[in-house]
Amino acid sequence: MRYYARKLGFYLVALWAALTLNFFIPRLMPGNPVDTLLAKLQQRGGAVDPSARRSYELLLGTDTGEPLWRQYTSYLGNVLRGDLGVSVSAFPAEVTEVIGQSLPWTVVLVGIATLLSFTLGVTLGTITGWRRGSRLDSLIPATTVLAAVPYFWLALILVLIFSSTLQWFPLFGGYDTYLATGWNWDFISSAIYHGTLPALTIVISSVGGWLLGMRNMMVATGSEDYILTAHAKGLRERRIMTRYAARNAVLPSLAGFAISLGFVVSGSIITEQVFSYPGIGSKLLQAVENSDYALMQGIFLVITVAVLAANLLVDLLHGFIDPRTRVTT
Amino acid sequence: MTTLSVHDLVKDYPVRAGLRHSTLRAVDHVSFTLRPGRTVALVGASGSGKSTVAKLIARLEKPTGGRITVTGEDGADVPARAYRDHVQLVFQDPFASLNPFHTIEHHLTRPLRLHGRARGRAEARQAAHALLERVSLRPAAAFAPRRPHELSGGQRQRVAIARALAPGARVVVADEPVSMLDVSIRLGVLHLLARLQREDHLAVLYITHDLATARHFSDEILVMHRGRIVERGPADDVILTPRHSYTRLLAAAAPDPEVRGRSLTAEPGTVTEEDLHRSFDHYTGAWQPTG
Amino acid sequence: MATPTTPPPGGTTAPGAAPRSGWRALLPGWSPRLGIGLGLVLAIGLFGLIGPLLLGDPDAIDNMGRTPPSTDHWLGTTQTGQDVLSQLAHATRGSLQIGLAVGIGATVLSALFGVIGAYAGGAVDESFSLFSNVMLVIPGLPLVIVIAGFVPREQRGWWTLAVVLVITGWAAAARVLRAQTLSLRNRDYVLAAKVAGERRRRIVIVEILPNLLPLIASQFVYAVIAAILAEAGLSFLGLGAPNTHTLGSMLYFAQNGFALQYEAWWWFVPPGLVIALFGCGLSLINFSLDEIINPRLRLPKAAGSGTGAVAGRSTDEAGTEAGPAPREPGAVLTVRSLDVVYRTADPVHAVRDVSLTLRRGEILGLAGESGCGKTTLAYAVARLHRPPAEVTAGSVVLHDRSGTDIDVLALEKEDLRAFRWDKLSMVFQGAMNSLNPVISIHEQLDDVLTTHRPGMSAADRRARCAEVLTLVGVDPARLTAFPHELSGGMRQRVMIAMAMLLDPQVMIMDEPTTALDVVVQRGILREIIRLRDELGFAVVLITHDLPLLLEVSDHIAVMRDGEIVEYAPAARMYRAPAHPYTRQLLDSFPSLTSARGAFVRGGDTDVPGAAR
Repeated sequence: MRYYARKLGFYLVALWAALTLNFFIPRLMPGNPVDTLLAKLQQRGGAVDPSARRSYELLLGTDTGEPLWRQYTSYLGNVLRGDLGVSVSAFPAEVTEVIGQSLPWTVVLVGIATLLSFTLGVTLGTITGWRRGSRLDSLIPATTVLAAVPYFWLALILVLIFSSTLQWFPLFGGYDTYLATGWNWDFISSAIYHGTLPALTIVISSVGGWLLGMRNMMVATGSEDYILTAHAKGLRERRIMTRYAARNAVLPSLAGFAISLGFVVSGSIITEQVFSYPGIGSKLLQAVENSDYALMQGIFLVITVAVLAANLLVDLLHGFIDPRTRVTT
Repeated sequence: MTTLSVHDLVKDYPVRAGLRHSTLRAVDHVSFTLRPGRTVALVGASGSGKSTVAKLIARLEKPTGGRITVTGEDGADVPARAYRDHVQLVFQDPFASLNPFHTIEHHLTRPLRLHGRARGRAEARQAAHALLERVSLRPAAAFAPRRPHELSGGQRQRVAIARALAPGARVVVADEPVSMLDVSIRLGVLHLLARLQREDHLAVLYITHDLATARHFSDEILVMHRGRIVERGPADDVILTPRHSYTRLLAAAAPDPEVRGRSLTAEPGTVTEEDLHRSFDHYTGAWQPTG
Repeated sequence: MATPTTPPPGGTTAPGAAPRSGWRALLPGWSPRLGIGLGLVLAIGLFGLIGPLLLGDPDAIDNMGRTPPSTDHWLGTTQTGQDVLSQLAHATRGSLQIGLAVGIGATVLSALFGVIGAYAGGAVDESFSLFSNVMLVIPGLPLVIVIAGFVPREQRGWWTLAVVLVITGWAAAARVLRAQTLSLRNRDYVLAAKVAGERRRRIVIVEILPNLLPLIASQFVYAVIAAILAEAGLSFLGLGAPNTHTLGSMLYFAQNGFALQYEAWWWFVPPGLVIALFGCGLSLINFSLDEIINPRLRLPKAAGSGTGAVAGRSTDEAGTEAGPAPREPGAVLTVRSLDVVYRTADPVHAVRDVSLTLRRGEILGLAGESGCGKTTLAYAVARLHRPPAEVTAGSVVLHDRSGTDIDVLALEKEDLRAFRWDKLSMVFQGAMNSLNPVISIHEQLDDVLTTHRPGMSAADRRARCAEVLTLVGVDPARLTAFPHELSGGMRQRVMIAMAMLLDPQVMIMDEPTTALDVVVQRGILREIIRLRDELGFAVVLITHDLPLLLEVSDHIAVMRDGEIVEYAPAARMYRAPAHPYTRQLLDSFPSLTSARGAFVRGGDTDVPGAAR
């Protein structure tokens, strides 16, 4: 239980750190974002009532004479209540509302792409690492090209080939705009159709990392005594590869999940931009372009929380697979 | 002429089980004295606390309780900052105790210069070569520029011994110095230690699990079990007429070609309940309670 | 405790291939991969360094724009008529500059937090580690975007960007360095430096840092790649530093100039390609660094054909050389003229012309020091040797209970698999590591039964597992335990139980008790002998402990340099050892109880060269 308690505690600390970071960044930066925002809000015809102003002030900080710690506690209170302010670029929508609309797109896209790339990378890594020195294994260095290719550039190339030239996939968007969003087959198939190329981009760019990590761990695990013992036991090759080698070799991959996930999330933001995908990454950039600070910070928070949650999930899975984490450390 | 005394040494390690915290007593009120020219063997199974004693004496760990005092030639206590001039440690694994990155010479010149035994590069090199000669690594000039991996296990352990002598130490703690070596070179290294001890009048603590070499290479034997010393006395007395049931158990467990086939019949025996709380001292010929 | 280091038989380190150390060890060995990697990095580096000097002003407008490659403009022009090649050269320089700056900054930060934290330990380590872990899980690019969003465009210089990328990019490397430093700081040589009285700072710099260098170099390389990619991403999003040429900003202008729509590939393909090739070059260099950091990744020089290769041995040849193994009465395993060679650049004859006969129910001791070939021999008999080890001659025949003879070296894949453990099982030296740490004892025992006895019901299997555990004196309730929950002695008992599962005729035990306490060792040996008496299997007992063999085994073979120098009944060997090496070995073990005799302390002869 200690393991789980520690992990949970850690993610709470990380969450608190992210919130704090979010609180201080605008305060440390030059300029007066509150005034910029309020001016924009007025341009859009929004009435600046005192509560909106207060919420912006808490979020972004301005010289109101209020002590910092009081601002900080009020800010934490606001965030915990889910009050992230009003979006300027999508006025009069609340930030939470904007995020609520775009988040599912990204979660599904990144989730499926990560799952695919993890499964593919780990499986291929298992096989190449097990058959070390084989012809398949000698192709490994080629995967480094994939990992070094910028996401957006790969996306552009894919668009050039599959959308412009071959016209197999649409150029951009998350679904056919004439369809109403809803849980019907037309819409879902359209979403899948539109999501394929962005997902493919993410998978191609990130699979190399999983593959290489898994392959190297498989090679290292291959010289463990328990693998030799498994051979001596006369077990079938496949069983040794999966239950004895891969099951141990995958643990560091899971432990390093945070790094890989950060990589995927960063990549997907840029990928969304290339495909004008209606996800949270595109929204973040829109917010930056429009100096919609409230939305910007809200999105950063939500992405962080999502990433933390995913990491927590993987850590729990790690605890499940590796019995050693469940006891005392 | 340095004497090292250990009084009532105690070392506890914190243990975490679940969310509960408890302590494990690795060393439990241990006392002994290392005198110049004499070897004391500390014998026990792994986990008995004997390596912890070595670490405490080498000041790699801080004792929970008790004192370690070193008395110099003049009869005065050696001050803390000069402690390492007097007390050195030889590690168990010569493959791990030498830095693969550095030359043999580096391993010797560093302590020589640190402890003011040599000034300047040339003098340090000369002193290092002299040390190599003393541990029979000849010609010294051929060994000095090599790196640890170019040496055999026995040669490495000789380097490690030379390193322990480099600060001019008069008290040497040898923690299982030969257990990682091939059998045919173990005695050579032990004989080397014995010769150096004779030449320099060293006080030696020989930590081992091997009763036979403990008997032949030491004057006094301390048997350690679960952090406590359960039997002490002159080497031959402890081995040939063991009194404590744990010592007997250890002696019976050692392989002995003289008694072929005994393992089919002989019961290994156990430590008696009574013996868990007492120790035997061959010098006084009496049992003592150990709390 | 007493663990003479035996070279891993057929492992990845071939005999003779000594690990390198010192400065040489920090340089990767030459390989085509490294060559290509260095070539790519150098070529692109030079292009970025010299190109801008030769190729002129990247902003000069030369023609009406978007012209395909021609002799005037090797890579064509942009929408506004600027030379793409010249832009590429300046952009490469810009990207490399940021990459390098961030690489250095992030590496310094990570070394600071990782190495110093880990070495200091305690609260410093805890807080440093917590800090870097938090930085690690907070997604970097969104954070950078948010920060960039707050900084007005005109205040963004390339170094502002560099600082932000350093701040968000050091954590992963710090974690890696911390882990490695933690393992280094408890190495004996670091402790030895402490005992010698070295100062902390010097220990870190002189003893720890050099051994971290390959890892730091590899982390630096990663940081450079990551920085170039991150900068490119930011610039592509329009969040880069204005008025600087980088590969990312070039792509940004290409995208906004509708290069894609006009299919002006010469405009947007080259910048991405430069990034990809540079990253690829760095990764290839890292491959070589990885092999220094983790020697297990090195491929053994000689390519073999999987575990248990038996080469150059046609049945004919074996027949004429060794002759059909004459079957001694009562024999269960006959080894004739076995040769095993490590086929490395400098081939090593690890086992030469070894012949042994193991009788039913007998304990055969195999004694010798590290590197004598005893383990290689045992592995070859079970066909467990790995490349580059190869059986080059000889025969191994198991005389089955059923009366048939099994030519072990001739067994093909599936037959060999079925033969293993069923007829011949093994107990390995590393009891600690012989059990799979992530699955329970029961599953590991059960695995053997499901594979070899597919007809057995689950209940029967469970009963059998419990039965063998009881045989070796382990409570069957421990079946659900995981290896880490058992003590060393307990694990070795579990291994012995596992070895008995299928009621084999031969059990090979390689230093089964070496890592254990004498008392525990005794208990396990008693158990082995008792079970041998009850079940009648034969044991090949491999150890360096000759007195132990003399006490418990029936016959003993003493090996040196791959050869059996003496092979005799144990009692005779003890009374009258024939070979001088046997005598030397026997003399190495002072007797516990007999008179002191030859053992006078301080008998070091101090003869030059006597030291081995």
